[in-house]
Amino acid sequence: MGFVQPVDLERVMRPVHQAQGLANEFYVDPNLFEQEKSAVFFRNWTAIGFCKDVPEPGDAMPADLLGQPLLVVHGRDGIVRVFQNTCRHRGMILMEKKGRLRGAIRCPYHSWCYDHDGALKTTPHVGGPGKNIHEDIDRSTLGLFPIRCHVWRDILFVNLSGDAPEFDDYAADLKARWAEFDQPLHPGGDESAFRLELDTNWKLAVENYCESYHLPWVHPGLNSYSRLEDHYNIEQPGHFSGQGTRVYRPMINEGGAPFADFEGLGDKWQAGAEYVALYPNVLLGVHRDHAFAIILQPVTHEKTIEHVQLYYATGDTAVADRSDLRAANAELWKTVFAEDIFVVEGMQRGRHGAKFDGGRFSPIMDSATHLFHHWVASQFAASLQDKEPV
Amino acid sequence: MVNPENLNAALLDAHDRAEGGRLAELYHKAASISEQVGKMDQACFYLTHAYVFALQEGLAMSADLHARLKALGREE
Repeated sequence: MGFVQPVDLERVMRPVHQAQGLANEFYVDPNLFEQEKSAVFFRNWTAIGFCKDVPEPGDAMPADLLGQPLLVVHGRDGIVRVFQNTCRHRGMILMEKKGRLRGAIRCPYHSWCYDHDGALKTTPHVGGPGKNIHEDIDRSTLGLFPIRCHVWRDILFVNLSGDAPEFDDYAADLKARWAEFDQPLHPGGDESAFRLELDTNWKLAVENYCESYHLPWVHPGLNSYSRLEDHYNIEQPGHFSGQGTRVYRPMINEGGAPFADFEGLGDKWQAGAEYVALYPNVLLGVHRDHAFAIILQPVTHEKTIEHVQLYYATGDTAVADRSDLRAANAELWKTVFAEDIFVVEGMQRGRHGAKFDGGRFSPIMDSATHLFHHWVASQFAASLQDKEPV
Repeated sequence: MVNPENLNAALLDAHDRAEGGRLAELYHKAASISEQVGKMDQACFYLTHAYVFALQEGLAMSADLHARLKALGREE
């Protein structure tokens, strides 16, 4: 196929009861995956990692977004910044591994040095041996390329194109919806972070996450108390979609002790929980006593890594006697997410079937998934027309 | 007086071990030796290396090294 055509998008962007899903090529065509990088990921706010992985000033880590080498730096001034991980001199990768910067960022090739804010500090021997200046080398124009970034709920988002709306506008509706959860998040310990490597296109992980339709079939254990009729769709066209439940039950340990709840939550959250995909690549869950985030890292058109992190309302010290509960909670979610693997991988294999036409949605049960398809199609349409998403 | 051969061996060892702080100190010594015998270009070469590693390690001596290089017209 090569490049997407407007006609392929129009049928996706019809109302859900008339729409077709995204065509096979959106999942199995490497050329379309290349097009997707700029159309979907680079022009929007895309998650690349968790700030808990650079907790202290001086902490730095490389990151990769679809082949774009990035460098995350927690500066001495406390600000987390993202740069292109490329020296302005000869294009060398600056940092290969996560580590603690004691001082400047030194390129390992010719030792050009950068400050934590990206400013070029010195250019050794640039004017000849022992002479670190030259009239044609203007350091003020040769700082590290900054990447527009924003941190929300410990998640580090970047906008490579630099022209997306402000993040607070981009995520305004979800921030408002979950305003009660706008309070400190404490990452659990090592047991609360894990990753799943999937042989599937990243979009199928989003689509499966958005809907509750599959729960009784794929997660019968969850369905024993959280039945289909206890769920509702969450739909915010152009931004996010997902599902919620009205019968969340907090976990307790053998002594009957629960996790601490987030403070000041309203009645809705006593038995309510919500699961939302913030487009393009973040899957979020909130409950009265814990939250989680999944960052989808598209590796190829048929490989995706899910980076999962669980959070609690109180820090390590306060929950030291809850480590068993945290481990059990992480195991529960690991089991649930693992139960989804066969469907997201199965749908990927199914999309190699040439006669599949994108599929028909349930007008009732698949509306959140369709919203995501509509958003993806809108991004391609906007990319084709070089205008705002319709 | 530092023996240049010992200094060279110490520098190679510090490079092998990636000991930035020690490299800053040793290159600073090398610069002093060169300066004492009037080899200013060579001294600035070593001062530059001392400065780079001091910057990398976040050492206070980087300010003095920068000032010295700047006074010699080698830094901005």
